[in-house]
Amino acid sequence: MQADKFVIPADMAPVKRHEKDTDVLRAQAGLYAFLGRCLEAEVDAALLSTLRGPLCKPLEELGVDLGDDVRSGDPLAVLADLGEEFAALFVVPGAVLPYRSAYETGRLFQPQADLATAAYRDAGFEFRNTLSGEFSDHAAVMLAFVGRLLERQVEAAETGDAEAATGWQRRREHFLQHQMGGWIIGWSRRARTCARHPFYRAILGLTEQVVWADICDIVDEKALQRLVKANRRPLMRQKTDHEFRKASGL
Amino acid sequence: MGHIKNIQTNRRGFLKLGASATAAGAALASTRLVAMEYDLGGADFSAVTGEKRTAVPYTCMACNIEDGGIAMVENGRIVKLEGNMDHPNTRGKLCAKGNSGFLHVYDPDRIMSPLLRTGKRGEGKWKRISYDEATSLLAEKLRAVIDRSREANDPSILNEMVVKWGRNRTGGGLDRFMHALGSNALINHTNICESSKKVGLEPSWGPDIESCDWANTKYILNFGSNVLESAYFMNPNAQRLVDGVVGNNAKIVSFDVRLSNTAGYSHEWFAPYPGTDSAIALAMAHVIMTEGLHDRDFIRDWTNVTEAQLLTHLAPYTPEFAEEESGVPAKDIRRIAREFATTKPATTFSYRGPCKHLWGAYQEAAIHMLNVITGNIEKKGGYCLPRGMGWPQPSPNPPKGAAPSVIAAPPLYPLASHHVSTNAPYMIMRGEAKVSVWMSYYDNPVYSYPSSHVWDAFLRDESLAPFTVSFSCYMSESTELVDLIIPDVTYLERHDPESMPSGLYPCLSIRQPVIKPLGGTQEFRQTMIDVIHKVDPDGALGIRKYFEFESVEDWMRQHFDNIPGLKEEGGWDHMKKVGVWPVYGKVSKDDGKLVDDNGDEIVAEYGLHTAEIPASAMAGAVVEPDGRITKDGATIGVQINGKNHTGFGTPSRKIEIYKESFRTYGFNPLPVYKRLPSRDKKPAEMILTTFKVNVHTQSRTASLKYLAEIYHKNPAWISPARAKALGIADGDLVRITSSLGYMVTRAHLTEGIHPEVVAISTACGHSGYGRLATLKHKDADAEWALGGDPDITNNVWWDDKGVHPNPIIRLSIDPIGGSQAWFDTVVTVTPAQPGDTYGDTNVSVEESMKDYEETLRYAYTGDLHRAAHQEVDVDWNNLPHPAASDGH
Repeated sequence: MQADKFVIPADMAPVKRHEKDTDVLRAQAGLYAFLGRCLEAEVDAALLSTLRGPLCKPLEELGVDLGDDVRSGDPLAVLADLGEEFAALFVVPGAVLPYRSAYETGRLFQPQADLATAAYRDAGFEFRNTLSGEFSDHAAVMLAFVGRLLERQVEAAETGDAEAATGWQRRREHFLQHQMGGWIIGWSRRARTCARHPFYRAILGLTEQVVWADICDIVDEKALQRLVKANRRPLMRQKTDHEFRKASGL
Repeated sequence: MGHIKNIQTNRRGFLKLGASATAAGAALASTRLVAMEYDLGGADFSAVTGEKRTAVPYTCMACNIEDGGIAMVENGRIVKLEGNMDHPNTRGKLCAKGNSGFLHVYDPDRIMSPLLRTGKRGEGKWKRISYDEATSLLAEKLRAVIDRSREANDPSILNEMVVKWGRNRTGGGLDRFMHALGSNALINHTNICESSKKVGLEPSWGPDIESCDWANTKYILNFGSNVLESAYFMNPNAQRLVDGVVGNNAKIVSFDVRLSNTAGYSHEWFAPYPGTDSAIALAMAHVIMTEGLHDRDFIRDWTNVTEAQLLTHLAPYTPEFAEEESGVPAKDIRRIAREFATTKPATTFSYRGPCKHLWGAYQEAAIHMLNVITGNIEKKGGYCLPRGMGWPQPSPNPPKGAAPSVIAAPPLYPLASHHVSTNAPYMIMRGEAKVSVWMSYYDNPVYSYPSSHVWDAFLRDESLAPFTVSFSCYMSESTELVDLIIPDVTYLERHDPESMPSGLYPCLSIRQPVIKPLGGTQEFRQTMIDVIHKVDPDGALGIRKYFEFESVEDWMRQHFDNIPGLKEEGGWDHMKKVGVWPVYGKVSKDDGKLVDDNGDEIVAEYGLHTAEIPASAMAGAVVEPDGRITKDGATIGVQINGKNHTGFGTPSRKIEIYKESFRTYGFNPLPVYKRLPSRDKKPAEMILTTFKVNVHTQSRTASLKYLAEIYHKNPAWISPARAKALGIADGDLVRITSSLGYMVTRAHLTEGIHPEVVAISTACGHSGYGRLATLKHKDADAEWALGGDPDITNNVWWDDKGVHPNPIIRLSIDPIGGSQAWFDTVVTVTPAQPGDTYGDTNVSVEESMKDYEETLRYAYTGDLHRAAHQEVDVDWNNLPHPAASDGH
């Protein structure tokens, strides 16, 4: 996987369904941006305020439970608690690392990161880490990128540039299928299983559902089956050979 | 049949034609097909694109040998490591650890961001912060100590800022940092390593290690080193050892309680009783001297003893005496002594086996003496001085702190020039030293020290260490206990100057980032700069001036840009490009020797001690009655037979077999054998020893997948006869019990171990260092899934991580060299008891504290020291008072 090999295939299958309603697209963009922000970095006072303010009711209506403390607890305490949870879940050794490279190869910063960077660049974005240890193939950055692509699509549609809008849609769908589809669902599920705080359980659950719904919308049945398998990554237990152990096997 | 016959006939015909064609030679050669040159390293190509990969030289630090390496980089990613062909001592070869080193960089369990503790110590709760926040916090803590010291006008308070390191390859950087802060509290790791070897050697001839000319020798006596697998300079030494044995028909004889791979490679292997090496070496010296096989001229000219003194001193050390102590037959000791003395050239080598005992320094001094009395010192094929090169420190260089640190240099161990790091937590727990800020660099004492649970207890106690910091990029057993982690980068992403005396060709080398530090991480050198700038933002404290570097690279330039010779070749820029200086020649494709452009071998320089002092330097010098040449109050050489030589790095400039410094503190000034307490154990008891293996360091490599797959469990080696007597079969669970407690592991029955010894390797049994080292992912499905590492999920076929022996190993210190006596712990081995499970460890901090009290009784002021050294001619009632030195 070479970074400079990333191109949107010209013969990519035409989009299945053209979403004409820019309000829907804009809402999708907002949803991806929201998920990306929640998973990209620790919750800060601004985000907490948003969660308690404009997003409170919509999240409730959606049945998303972020936890009592997020809704009404002492802000400093809840921010500290969520920061600790963020570190344990995504940062500290032993975490469910939110990187495609780690998920697919067991190593940090592998060519998967180059592919993500190339896709961002190709769309006019540059990845820059804020804190050390952040890579371009971070799940949250990918979610945010999809949100940005949706924004561009809306902008193009609103200016009447249907061709450009279709281009942005293709780009988004390709990214969702090829750079996110094979891992982000399984990763979200694993992270959700390990999450202690209801906020991260909820956000990760939402991520899984939102991304999967969009992928189901854009790929055919055969491709969907491949993605299901890729995400599942079933555990493989080795048979223990007691004789081998007994022989000390130096 | 006819068909086959035809083919055979045809083949003969073909061959005839072929022979004729060959004779025609170049006239028939293809002009299209050109033979590839066989490049010995340094170039590599992408398997995907075919493009040449970027080759970046570096110095390895997978362990402490510092081999020359080349990193192959593709798309900003390290894809392969190999040896640097320009490094004269490692000659293009890396060991398994070195080849695997790049896995450190991409390890998913690497700490990539500064972390601030949010829960209780060791609870595993952290908050991610930036490097800026982290260095500000550390600077604030350090500044508070400095302010308190200034207010009280008490420089000793500055020693409450402590740094403890396991592996410091900063080229003086860490010393600069601490001395700039005014602290002398730099605690190394050397006493858990080979410090008593160093102290056996330094007063004898100056340097702390030997450099054997393995390749050109004819005879090697190997005392307790596993040089083909581990030990100092393993890779370069192992290469040249094989050169010597295979290429030069050298004989090697090994003394080791365990059949290591080196012992197995030897022509003869003897398993002496642990800690009796010096009895064997002294008996050999006895044979050599009494049979007149010694080098009279060398002893007369180059030592501070006479033949008569040696004969008198060695008289009790007969081969029969040595047999009684060691179990090695007297006839073999006698025979090998004769072979060693009469086969020229010859050399000994020793490592931790002899010196990691109570009085280990004596053992090393005795082995060293064999080379001296046979005149093999500094001879081609002999026992040579180490060859290294220095580099200047940027100016201004801070002076040491004003007050001595007692934990850095415990006063009860005045001869232990490499100090006694094991004692630090005990001293702090007893109130003998105070800590305000404890900094840990490349160190994991909670795993790698004897009675490791004492370090665990110390680091958990906030009243003993109020603020603790680790610069590790791995969550080791020690790092998980600290308050703040400011992760360094791996050795492939940072700068360091290096010069390891790993062979006979002195050279400088460097470490440089072969890739940009991963994910915006920051190298420790930059962290030091940032912290100092924040401690002293305006320079008012007079500290900042020592760290006025424009960048880390600027710091490195100041090391390398003005070294004569290197400067003309480009200084730092040359080092970045080539990685090593000087480049002596090429590695021969035929025999691996260093050769010049004509293919002639580049012969190393020998006889360094005989170098003559130039007439210009003799101007104003005085030759003292004892032959020493002094000038301006300093000894600069020695006059022997009318010639002015530089000599050795001792006060007399000769090899000092007689060590006055030893006598001053009531130790025997001559090499002796002292019967160890463990030698008098009960018959049912055994002695626990540990060892390293060829694919692991003590602790740092357990997270490397390639290496963990090769070696990940460490059963206890027990001889079949002993096991049978104990009712133990191969693979059985066993309980090993010392005075501190017990561990439960499995037995590995082998004839390759002394019957009185049980041996367990290090490197296994981690409770920290990531998912692979701990195999925690196999405990439960949820944890298994953590991180989603497919290698761990699908390819880790083993479910045994081993059991670490260090908790049951007692603290015991060589009162001379300061070494931990790793190989003196007396244990009982029994079948596991009901309820025991594999990996159980149960030990007591209180019992370990008693060991500290006990070992102080062997220090020079202790009653057991006096009882064991009645033969020493010293005024026992007027030994020097314990006094703190300036630490480091």
